[in-house]
Amino acid sequence: MLLSCEREPAGHNKMHLPDGFLDAKTALLSSGVAAAGVGLALRQVGASLEPRRMPMLGLGAAFVFAAQMLNFPIAGGTSGHLVGGVLIAILLGPNAAILVMTCVLMVQCLMFADGGLMALGANVFNMGLVNVCGGYFVFRLLQSVFRMGQQRSAVFAAAFAGWFGTVLASIFCAGELALSNTVPWSIALPAMANVHMIIGLGEGLATGLILLAVLRARPELVAVQQAPRLRFGSGAIGYGLLICLGLAVFVAPFACPWPDGLEAFGRRLGLPARSISAPLADYHFPLVGSPIAATAIAGAVGTLLAFVAAYALARVLVPILGPSKKDASAGH
Amino acid sequence: MHQAAPGIKLVAAVLLVTFTALLPRHLTWLYLVPTVILLVLWPVCRMPIIYGLRRLLVAELFIVGIGLLTLLHPTAAPLFLSALVKSNLCVLAMLLLTWTTPFQQVLQQLRRWYFPTVMLSTLALMCRYMPVLGEETRRMTRARASRTFSSKRVVSWQNVALIIGQLFVRSADRAERIYLAMCARGWK
Amino acid sequence: MKAALEVRNLSYRYPQNGRLALDQISFSVAEEECVGVLGPNGAGKSTLLLHLNALLPERIVSTPAIWISGEPIGSHNLQLIRQRVGLLFQDPDDQLISATVFEDVAFGPRQLGLEGPILAALVRQCLGQVGLAGFEERQPHRLSHGEKRRVCLAGVLACKPSLLVLDEPTSDLDPRGRREFKSLLQTLPGAKIIATHDLELVVDLCARVVVLDEGKIVAQGPTVPLLSDEPLMLAHGLEKPHSLLHRHPHGPGMPLR
Repeated sequence: MLLSCEREPAGHNKMHLPDGFLDAKTALLSSGVAAAGVGLALRQVGASLEPRRMPMLGLGAAFVFAAQMLNFPIAGGTSGHLVGGVLIAILLGPNAAILVMTCVLMVQCLMFADGGLMALGANVFNMGLVNVCGGYFVFRLLQSVFRMGQQRSAVFAAAFAGWFGTVLASIFCAGELALSNTVPWSIALPAMANVHMIIGLGEGLATGLILLAVLRARPELVAVQQAPRLRFGSGAIGYGLLICLGLAVFVAPFACPWPDGLEAFGRRLGLPARSISAPLADYHFPLVGSPIAATAIAGAVGTLLAFVAAYALARVLVPILGPSKKDASAGH
Repeated sequence: MHQAAPGIKLVAAVLLVTFTALLPRHLTWLYLVPTVILLVLWPVCRMPIIYGLRRLLVAELFIVGIGLLTLLHPTAAPLFLSALVKSNLCVLAMLLLTWTTPFQQVLQQLRRWYFPTVMLSTLALMCRYMPVLGEETRRMTRARASRTFSSKRVVSWQNVALIIGQLFVRSADRAERIYLAMCARGWK
Repeated sequence: MKAALEVRNLSYRYPQNGRLALDQISFSVAEEECVGVLGPNGAGKSTLLLHLNALLPERIVSTPAIWISGEPIGSHNLQLIRQRVGLLFQDPDDQLISATVFEDVAFGPRQLGLEGPILAALVRQCLGQVGLAGFEERQPHRLSHGEKRRVCLAGVLACKPSLLVLDEPTSDLDPRGRREFKSLLQTLPGAKIIATHDLELVVDLCARVVVLDEGKIVAQGPTVPLLSDEPLMLAHGLEKPHSLLHRHPHGPGMPLR
């Protein structure tokens, strides 16, 4: 074949949906939201990106692709791989990152037959929009809230944001599977979210380590260093709206803890009443009983653990020797 | 098949995948339609059997992974089987598409369909420099490996992170030089 | 006759750190002349070359310091200058951006408005000129380093420049590649500037050389006498080329035994 570089498919990425698991309405909805998000990113990039930075989009996409191929050894013979959504968002800015991740997913689908074609919309939405925007937002938030010296707060924020982006995207993925009625929500959410809370640790750790490497070598290359304080321009509002829309469509119908309200909501959306509340009623979790409580507890514990881990990572990796030379010269 | 217009192949793939994905959730005779089409197309496209099977096998690990979750659905087994078959058929369709259609042609077709130019140029540059960056990564990995004397995971993670970081720096520098080279030949 | 290139008192500071990269550079290149630019690493050769193609400075200053065939470089004629001056970059992978050889060679002329069969004929002619006839549909990453270099050269020639500027054209080439590229350069008409470490190439191709060190021109003049001046060469991070080791600087080209 005319494959320029042979690679094993992204089987490592448990969020990369193949075809056959989403139904028509979910595929259409997710593709629609994804297209809107990519369209918004294109508009933002067209307006704000200097021509000098245009080739970086293509090189950035090639970079993400190459980075995804490297092995992060885990245990025994298994190894994990970077997804890179949050990393590239920090390095190039969220708008460019959305385009980059979309291109990576397109190439994986159309050049390597990796990831579904109908599911491309959902994959772009999960890994290109939710992962990137959610992770980036959390990164900027943490970086501005926790001032520990510029490099340290960047690494901490990046590590947690990498974890968060992964988990958030997996929740949306679970929602898509549930909306398609392929996997009931009470199974999809714990399965996806819990697995990705663990996988996300690796992603977060890798993101933090890589960002630290870049900051130590050439901090001026990191786009976020040049960006002003986090402000809510039209882009941010647009992405926020799209993600909230996704929440409303893919997550809210299932996550609502009140079955009556759930049915009412579902009726308003036009979904058949039985399909929503039935799965919740039929499944019980050991020890905790209600699946909702179990998930909530797992979620809270996982988040706390990730937060602490990210903080510890930053403290360990970036020793405080007074403000570093880079902090001083950056004029923070 | 290789000579057919890329537009036709793309549209055919989309139609086939859509049809297959929207088949009912239990195995019916309708499943035979895409199955037969694909099994006939396989030799027509001259895709090697071993190659196809190998790629399907790798995709399998992953289809089954998500597929297992469907076993917990009220309808369980039929859903699991139908999802499995559907997924495999779709993967096969995409394999045939990528086998017969070089990505270059896909890009040209997308351009004819008025795909956004920023995306097209990003995709084009990405494909041009994927092997270049891949080669740089291989060189850096080999160089690191030749100076790594510990098999601890911590060290491996640090090494990989350093390599990826260095790859980004090199890519950014290269992007800058590419911009200059494009300007030198009149790009505005 | 107008000089192909005239540089007068060119100075440049790096914007990042304010360091003086070029200090009052002045030299000229006549039509059909081949001039070599030598110097140790960091002397400013590449920076100088980028100036010749109006890629630096980032903001063109009002007082011109460079004239291409009598035309001063200014912000109003950037495109014209970039067509007149063909710059070959050191790493062919930076210049070879398209998916096929044909597309890459056609990149420059397309910007100049050429299309269709005229463009195709031009591309084929340029590829033939560099010895790569028939390579139109080949993919860049499958080419050898020397072939990539030649494709880049074809792409530059396709813009019909009056001044060819080459940055380390024979670096990374094996001896045969170097010989082939050298004989190719000898067939190309027009003025040429070659920045290189390959002293043998300079002896063979260049009638004059300019020696740069720390941003200043420390010597310029005819090649053989200058390169034979061993103390001068060694003082500026260079050396006397082997082909001149036994040759009298002012005598005929017969080696002395």
